[in-house]
Amino acid sequence: MNAVRGDRYRARTALAAGVALLVALPHFLKGNPYIINVFILIFYMSTISMAWNLLGGMTGQNSLGHAAFMGLGAYISTLFVVKTGGSPWVGLLLAIVLTGLIAAVVFYPCFILRGPYFTLVTIAFGEAVRQCIINWDYAGKAMGIALPFGRDSLRYFRFMSKIPYYYAALLMLAGTYLLMKKIDNSKLGFALKTIREDEDVAASIGIKPLKYKVAAVVISSMIAAMVGFFYASYNRYIDPDLMMQAYSVEFVLPAIVGGAAFVEGPLIGGFLLISVSEYLRNKFGGVLPGINLILYAIILLVVIRFRPTGILGWYHGSNLSRRVDFWLLGRTADAEESDRRC
Amino acid sequence: MNIFLQACMNGLLIGGFYSLMGMGQNIIFGVMKIINFCHGEMLMTGMYITFACFTYLGIDPYLGVPLVAVLMFILGGAIQHTLITPSLGTRSFTNLLFLTVGLGILFQNLALVIFSSNYRTISTPYSTQTVHLGMVTMALPKLISFFALIVVSVALFCFLKYSTPGKQIRAVSQNPLGAQVVGINVKMTYVITYGIGVALAGISGALLTQFYIIYPMVGTNFGLRALIVVVVGGLGSIPGAFAAGIFLGLLETLSSLLVGPSFKDLVVFLTFIVILVARQEMILRRA
Repeated sequence: MNAVRGDRYRARTALAAGVALLVALPHFLKGNPYIINVFILIFYMSTISMAWNLLGGMTGQNSLGHAAFMGLGAYISTLFVVKTGGSPWVGLLLAIVLTGLIAAVVFYPCFILRGPYFTLVTIAFGEAVRQCIINWDYAGKAMGIALPFGRDSLRYFRFMSKIPYYYAALLMLAGTYLLMKKIDNSKLGFALKTIREDEDVAASIGIKPLKYKVAAVVISSMIAAMVGFFYASYNRYIDPDLMMQAYSVEFVLPAIVGGAAFVEGPLIGGFLLISVSEYLRNKFGGVLPGINLILYAIILLVVIRFRPTGILGWYHGSNLSRRVDFWLLGRTADAEESDRRC
Repeated sequence: MNIFLQACMNGLLIGGFYSLMGMGQNIIFGVMKIINFCHGEMLMTGMYITFACFTYLGIDPYLGVPLVAVLMFILGGAIQHTLITPSLGTRSFTNLLFLTVGLGILFQNLALVIFSSNYRTISTPYSTQTVHLGMVTMALPKLISFFALIVVSVALFCFLKYSTPGKQIRAVSQNPLGAQVVGINVKMTYVITYGIGVALAGISGALLTQFYIIYPMVGTNFGLRALIVVVVGGLGSIPGAFAAGIFLGLLETLSSLLVGPSFKDLVVFLTFIVILVARQEMILRRA
C-alpha cells in the first residue's frame, strides 16, 4: 500500500516540476517578449479548446460557434468597461454570466437537432451574432472597439509587460484543466459521455440528455467568455472579425489533433500545433503567407487519416505509455492492478 | 416597382449558383451522410483553375467549364479515395467533419501561397454587355451563366434518374449494405459521388468568375449558403435544392432592398435557424 502511495508521489512530482518550469519560464525569457507571446497564445487557445472539448469531445455535440461565445465575452466586458468606466473584473463577471445565459436560451431549442444539423445551427448562430455586432452602432459596428491605455494596474487588468498576462493565462489554463478533470470524473462527466455514445440509451437509463447538454454548453460558453475577456484585455482592441467561423475551427483543431476523448487532448494538441504554426509563421510568414496553415491542415489530415483517436488515443494504446507509466509510477499499470487486488 | 423587379431578377441569378452548390453538397450529404465543409473552397479552386486557364492558356471561361468539371471530378475522386473512404470506416462524425474542414484550410492556403491574396478578375469582350428584358437590365454573362446552370441541373437530374451510375448512387444513398448485397461497388460509387459533388462546385466557380472577384477566401460565404440550401431544400432532392437556392437568392436581394444591405446576412442566418428549429420534426425523420 505504501509502495503505491510512493509511486503516485513520483507522478505528482513530475507534474509539479512541469508546472514549476512553466511558472519560472518568464524569468528566463525576460528579453524575449515574442516567445512569451507564443506561450500566452498557446495557453489561451488550449483553454478555449478545452472548453470546446467539453461540448464536442466529451458530449459529442460538434459546435462550430465557439468564436461567437468568445466574441460575446470580449464584447460584453469591453462595452461595460468602455461605456460605464467600471472595473474590468465586474465586466468579466457580467460577461461570464450573460454569455452563459445566452448560450442556455439559444441552444435549448437547438439541442433537439442531432449530428450535422446541430453543427449547422451553431455555425448559423455564430454568423448571426457576428452580423448583429457588425450592424450595431453602440458596439462600434465593423470598426470594433479600442480599450483605453493607461498605467499598469491590476485593478484595471492593464499591464505594460507581457509577464502578468502570461501568469493570468497560465492560471486560466490551470483552472480550466482542473475543472475539466473534476467534471471528467463526476456524475456530469459520465452522463455527458453516455450521451456521446448513445443518446437514446442515455435517455432510457434516466439521464435527461437535454438537461446535461445545456449544462455542458453553459459551462463551455462561460469559459469561452472568460477567454474572450482575456483576449480583449491582452490585445486592447476587438472587432467583429474575432467571431469568424474560421476561428471556431481553430479552437477545435488542438482538441482533434491531441485526442478529443481526453481532457489533456487540447493541451497536447495546442502545444504542438501552435508552436509549430508560430515557428513557421515567424520563419516564412513574410515570404509565403499561409504556409503555417498549410502545415496545420496537413497535420490535421494525417492525424485523422492514420490516428483517428488523436495523439493521446494513439499514445494510450502504444508501448510507450507503458514505459512512461513504468518510469512515473515505478511499475506497470498491470502490476498496480494486481497490487490493488491483493 | 422597377427596382423591385430588378432585385428579384438579381436574386434569381445569384440563387442559381446557390442551387448548383447546394446540389453538389446535397448529393454528397445524401450518399455519405457527411457535411462537405470544403465545398466553398472547391468553388474557389474551380475559379482559380478557370482564371489560370484564361490567363496562361487563353481559354475562354465558358469553354473552360468542361475542363474544370473534369479536373475537379478527378480531384474529388482522389480525395474521396485517399482520405474520406478510409475514414468512413471509423464512423466518427467528428473526424469526418474535421477532415473536410482541414481540406478546406489546406486549399484556401494553397491558393493564398500560389496566387497571393490579390483580387483577380477575368474580363472578356462580352463581360460588360447588358441585356434589357422589359423593365429590368441584366449583365450578359450572368444570363449565360444562369442558362448554363439550368442545363447542368437538368443533366444532373437525368443522370441520377436514368443512367446506371446514377441509379447506383441513389441505391447507395438509400441503403449502402443492401446496395452492396446486390453487387454495387459501394466504394466506387462513393468516389463517383464525391467527384460529382466537387465537380458541381467547380462548375459554379467557373461560371462565377465572369462577374465576381476571385480571392482565396471567396468560398466561405458560398459554402455556408450551400449548406443552407441542403437543409431548406430537403435531403437528396435535386428539384428541392434548385428551389431552395432560388429562394435563398431572392431572400438575400429582397432583404437587402427592404431592410438594408448590411442586414442581408443577418436575415439569411436567422431565417436558417428558424427553419432548422421549426422543421426539426421533419429533419429528424429524415436523418
